[in-house]
Amino acid sequence: MNGGPLIVQSDKTLLLEVDHEQADECRRAIAPFAELERAPEHIHTYRLTPLGLWNARAAGHDAEQVVDALVAYARYPVPHALLVDVAETMARYGRLRLLKHPTHGLVLESSDRPVLEEVLRSKKVQPLVGDRVDPDTVVVHPSERGQIKQVLLKLGWPAEDLAGYVDGEAHPVTLREEDWTLRPYQQQAVENFWHGGSGVVVLPCGAGKTLVGAGAMAQAQATTLILVTNTVSARQWKSELVRRTSLTEDEIGEYSGTKKEIRPVTIATYQVVTTKRKGVYPHLELFDSRDWGLIVYDEVHLLPAPVFKFTADLQARRRLGLTATLVREDGRESDVFSLIGPKRFDAPWKEIEAQGYIAPADCVEVRVSLTDSERLAYATAETEEKYRFCATTDSKRRVTEALVRQHEGEQTLVIGQYIDQLDELGEHIGAPVIKGDTTNRQREKLFNAFREGELSTLVVSKVANFSVDLPEATVAIQVSGTFGSRQEEAQRLGRVLRPKADGHEARFYSVVARDTIDQDFAAHRQRFLAEQGYAYRIVDSHDLLTGAPESAAETGSPEAPGAPDPSGGGAGPEAE
Amino acid sequence: MSPEQNGGTAAPRTLADDLRARDDSALAELLRIRPDLLSPVPNDLTQLATRAGTRASVVRAVERLDRFALQTAEAIAVAPDPCPYETLLGLLRGDPDRVEGPGDPARHVAGELPRALRTLRAQALLWGGDDRLRLVRTARELLTPSPSAPSPTGLGPTLAEATSGMSPGRLQDILANAGLGPTHDPVSALAALTDLFTDRARMAGLLDEAPPESLLMLDKLRWGPPYGSVHADRPSPPVTWLLDRALLVRSSARTVVLPREVALHLRGGRAHRDVEPVPPPLMPRREYPPETADATAAGQVLSALGTLEDLLADWESDPPSVLRSGGLGVRDLKRTAAVLDVPEPVAAFWIELAYAAGLLAPDGEADEVYAPTPAYDDWLRRPAHERWAHIVVRWLTGTRVPALVGARDAKGRALAALGQGLDRGLTADVRCRTLTLLTALAPGAAPAQHSVLARLRWEHPLRGGSAPPPGTETPPTAGASEEPGPADMRAQLAESVLHEAELLGLTGRGALASYARVLLSTEAGAGARTASEVAALEATASEASALLAPLLPEPLDHILLQADLTAVAPGPLERPLAAMLNVLADVESKGGATVYRFTPASVRRALDAGRTASDVHAFLAAHSRTPVPQPLSYLVDDVARRHGRLRVGAASSYVRCDDEALLNEIMADKRSAALRPRQLAPTVLASALPPDQLLAKLREMGYAPAAESDEGDVMITRADARRTPPRSAPDPVPDGPPVPDTALLTAAVRAIRAGDHAATAEHKPRQPGGRAPRPRSQGGEPPRTTSADTIATMQSAVLSGDAVWIGYVNADGAASQRVIAPVRVEGGFVTAYDHTADEVRTYPLHRITGAAELADN
Repeated sequence: MNGGPLIVQSDKTLLLEVDHEQADECRRAIAPFAELERAPEHIHTYRLTPLGLWNARAAGHDAEQVVDALVAYARYPVPHALLVDVAETMARYGRLRLLKHPTHGLVLESSDRPVLEEVLRSKKVQPLVGDRVDPDTVVVHPSERGQIKQVLLKLGWPAEDLAGYVDGEAHPVTLREEDWTLRPYQQQAVENFWHGGSGVVVLPCGAGKTLVGAGAMAQAQATTLILVTNTVSARQWKSELVRRTSLTEDEIGEYSGTKKEIRPVTIATYQVVTTKRKGVYPHLELFDSRDWGLIVYDEVHLLPAPVFKFTADLQARRRLGLTATLVREDGRESDVFSLIGPKRFDAPWKEIEAQGYIAPADCVEVRVSLTDSERLAYATAETEEKYRFCATTDSKRRVTEALVRQHEGEQTLVIGQYIDQLDELGEHIGAPVIKGDTTNRQREKLFNAFREGELSTLVVSKVANFSVDLPEATVAIQVSGTFGSRQEEAQRLGRVLRPKADGHEARFYSVVARDTIDQDFAAHRQRFLAEQGYAYRIVDSHDLLTGAPESAAETGSPEAPGAPDPSGGGAGPEAE
Repeated sequence: MSPEQNGGTAAPRTLADDLRARDDSALAELLRIRPDLLSPVPNDLTQLATRAGTRASVVRAVERLDRFALQTAEAIAVAPDPCPYETLLGLLRGDPDRVEGPGDPARHVAGELPRALRTLRAQALLWGGDDRLRLVRTARELLTPSPSAPSPTGLGPTLAEATSGMSPGRLQDILANAGLGPTHDPVSALAALTDLFTDRARMAGLLDEAPPESLLMLDKLRWGPPYGSVHADRPSPPVTWLLDRALLVRSSARTVVLPREVALHLRGGRAHRDVEPVPPPLMPRREYPPETADATAAGQVLSALGTLEDLLADWESDPPSVLRSGGLGVRDLKRTAAVLDVPEPVAAFWIELAYAAGLLAPDGEADEVYAPTPAYDDWLRRPAHERWAHIVVRWLTGTRVPALVGARDAKGRALAALGQGLDRGLTADVRCRTLTLLTALAPGAAPAQHSVLARLRWEHPLRGGSAPPPGTETPPTAGASEEPGPADMRAQLAESVLHEAELLGLTGRGALASYARVLLSTEAGAGARTASEVAALEATASEASALLAPLLPEPLDHILLQADLTAVAPGPLERPLAAMLNVLADVESKGGATVYRFTPASVRRALDAGRTASDVHAFLAAHSRTPVPQPLSYLVDDVARRHGRLRVGAASSYVRCDDEALLNEIMADKRSAALRPRQLAPTVLASALPPDQLLAKLREMGYAPAAESDEGDVMITRADARRTPPRSAPDPVPDGPPVPDTALLTAAVRAIRAGDHAATAEHKPRQPGGRAPRPRSQGGEPPRTTSADTIATMQSAVLSGDAVWIGYVNADGAASQRVIAPVRVEGGFVTAYDHTADEVRTYPLHRITGAAELADN
């Protein structure tokens, strides 16, 4: 027992006591190899995973460093089996290497012959490789570079890709850092990425991921393909790039449902590249249309499955993934690792918030008691209709309206899943509604009006989940969502996290129907943010409607004896 | 050495003499190390000496020798009897000029030999002064090489033994071939040859003349086994050359043997290829700071105790059943391994440990299951270090070997955890001995496993596995080096000891923890069997645990509550706190710390267990270092708000009435106490009585209730006319047996006739030449003939087609006579037409007491 801040559990979780004096030091020591799983207020949980350990290997750390860090900061003796396991897992990375051979082209080389024998025996590897050049080397078909990395990772022998990258068609790009500069963490992210070749940068919503992309382009000095989630986001990337870099409007093309421009820097949407007609992807030519030097994937956690397939063929190009969370609801984190690259940079939300780059936020869950007739209707609803029913009840609408009224004068977003619910809300509040069938021109117009302050309230559907830059939004009210999606909750919170001009905090409401499936989904949705340290307060709609909203925190837990003011991430209500 | 032996005026003539010369303490020592001599207590020293010479006892003693003492005994066994000290030294060390550099272990022989002799004398395996060392006769027989049991020395018989039975002429030929002059008789011829073979210089001269192939052959047999096979009639010239000089001697038509003297010459006088006078040293694998070893081990102590608790907590709610053959089923073992999150062999270890420590046992009920014992509750109440001491003592003295679980016994059955066949008598010794070895290393040094195994093998080369109980006819030498069984058992045991010691926190990263050192410092550990020894061990264990206590983290009285509905206990918790938290929250991660998660289900569990929301709030507030997060308080209230709103109970019947006043009247009526009514609502009463009784009672009380069906309709009741299911009328039973019909009568008559035929038939007189007595047949006695005669009679009857008369004993032992016409005699059976029964039957020949031909009539 040396009183360190870290407790190493035998199930490979690491518990870091935040208030310990060595906590920061320890965090820096373990961050390269451990995945931050949860970051609530007192104890942060990290997890040792094979992916995380291989990430560390890819970043040049070795098992000795990992073991030293664990042993040095551990409060209790570290289970020996765990140390052995760490060493063994890390030793698996790099036994196989993908190299460029002067005569044979792409080859898989091994420093450990039995491992090579083992993987070559796998039925999945056999079609991907060619002749055996010598006992330790086997030719790999250049087109299978991605597939073989995927397969080898699944077999537990991740290959180190040292085959290098093509430079791509050169194209000058510089950052125009006139009235601004890259923030230190953005700088760090760009450097880490460039040093590693390819990989993923994880930053909170609103922390300026676009600039990391721009920074990477400035490093690459080459033609760039940017893949984004939707057209609005594509336009924002374009305007941001024009504003921040030496690129001009003419150098940036948009490749979407409406426009098919291919320019030195081309921004395409996932939707258009994954459009399938008669069993083929007609827009695949995009990837071959230029000799791209860099490919940027925005919102990697949403990367559709076909894009993984295309990406497998693009292994010779530098790839940068940007995301707020590596949590994928489909569990394909390992494909991100093998096809786009290891995680190159990661910053906890609260750390960025502490540096003042994102606004502090107060998250409130408003529990709405349904009326008796609503409860009866809910009880008799079909199972698949239950969520829709309870998420769109009139009681919720009334509470939402009340919230909007309370925050009158503030820039407020009402976010929901169901169009008719949003239309109804929009009508009652008297605010315009942006949804899937709103034209892009109309959307741009409304967003602009909101940014300028002409409009104070907007009702938006899930089209605004991502990459819509609305810096002045300070209040977001979520009325319904895509069931229990954790990343959607994070994205929606991200809408209000841009630092405010006057530095005041943002407010995020999630309106939830009590004692229904809505409440269960809400609990699941909140997990990611709760783990990032965003403590949700729970408020009864009754208190909200009758009592003064500012006293919500005090009245939130009237029965709790001696429970003092909950420490909601420093977001006390008196800030308003 | 042993001065008392040499102190006597005359050299002892027998072992008994030798024993007589020893002082009391030496005799006591002998009885201590060979306790089997003590039961029953011998009458005098002669009896003691006799008993010490019995084979079983000697086998037992030899098995307990260390390698060098054993090698010494083996050397004495191949030396002349009695053997002078110098000869023995020569056999062990080899010729002085052959001793190599400082690395040669033979250099240590001279120094270590007195110790080995002392050991052998103390065991009463050796007696006599240094000039006349004698092994006990049985020991010598056990250790002397013979063709059936070659000695581990690899030496063959002596020249005299090998050439016994050789013709004197052949001996003289050999003498001549070896360049020696003729002698008068075979005895002197052998002496001359032996002299030649034991004279290094002359022998070297002889071998110099040998063809190189012959030398190659000798070299092959040099270290044994000393037997080689050759062509029976025409041995190859190099073999012939050797045979002609008795350097090889034929031991049978196809094998030749290397005489002992020749082998010793070739070996430079050594009886063993590798003499091991000193134990192999223990090699440290790695050295850790002693604090690291201690801390790691102490951490493991905690996790060991935690694992045992998890195991028993799981089994108290979900007890696995006892297999019919005893033990735990494989499926239950798998499930438990999954619960404990450890591999199955490790799970088996914890289960066996809990069993050995008396924490779990079969409950002895009809459907027998394993469950924690009351001792477990006592154990739980003790502080962590005492709990550890308890299990460690049980482990050190236990003989069950968890590592054997899943292995197969001699009959090929898998050994089940907690089942039979896991006891190995050796276990306690090996456990103590292995750990005691570790005390020799510097604190914090972890030994290399192979060096521990080598050392143990040196200390007890023979005694390994489930040593056969003394008295069985197992030559101990068979298990020495060739047969892997017992030696492997010891290695397997020692390996598992090292592994288990790590699991128990006796060692940390392989190095013995400082507190465990105390435990092993006394002699109490080594094979504690008796109650007093165990008590002594327990005393040392509590000493050790007192040293351990400061290394264990203090149990904490607080937890950290977080807004994501988790609680973290950053260390072990005080028991009541942990117990409450286990109910109130689900454990998410275990180890040095524990992570709990609160869920609606877990909070409801606490409310179900009788806690109220305010209990829970008070508990959380009292034990949290930080303010209780609002979402958690909210969760508790939210669950409490809904808890128990719906109530479920059981009633057998109800009374329903739209008139509330009437029900109130029933409730108020004293007579309705028997109904045990409960008013569920103003218009509903529930009762524990069945509906028919309730109806009857209410009617007695003067009410007019009506019964209600499941659908709520009034049931119409009227007296039913009862009916049975369809039945048939009984058959009449007439008096006496039924009248027989003709067919039956005919058959009966025929049967009677046939029986009569058999009883009264005239029989042929015996065949001429038959020595057996005439079958006594006339008096109705069944015939008796020898089985040969019976078969002959049958066979001739088959050929002639005649009927024969036989006596037959059926399966119940009842004798009868039958007349049969045999059709076939084969495979010990006669197939024949039985006139008596009027059908073809088959008779086992051995049941036929005799057969006789029927007299011709």
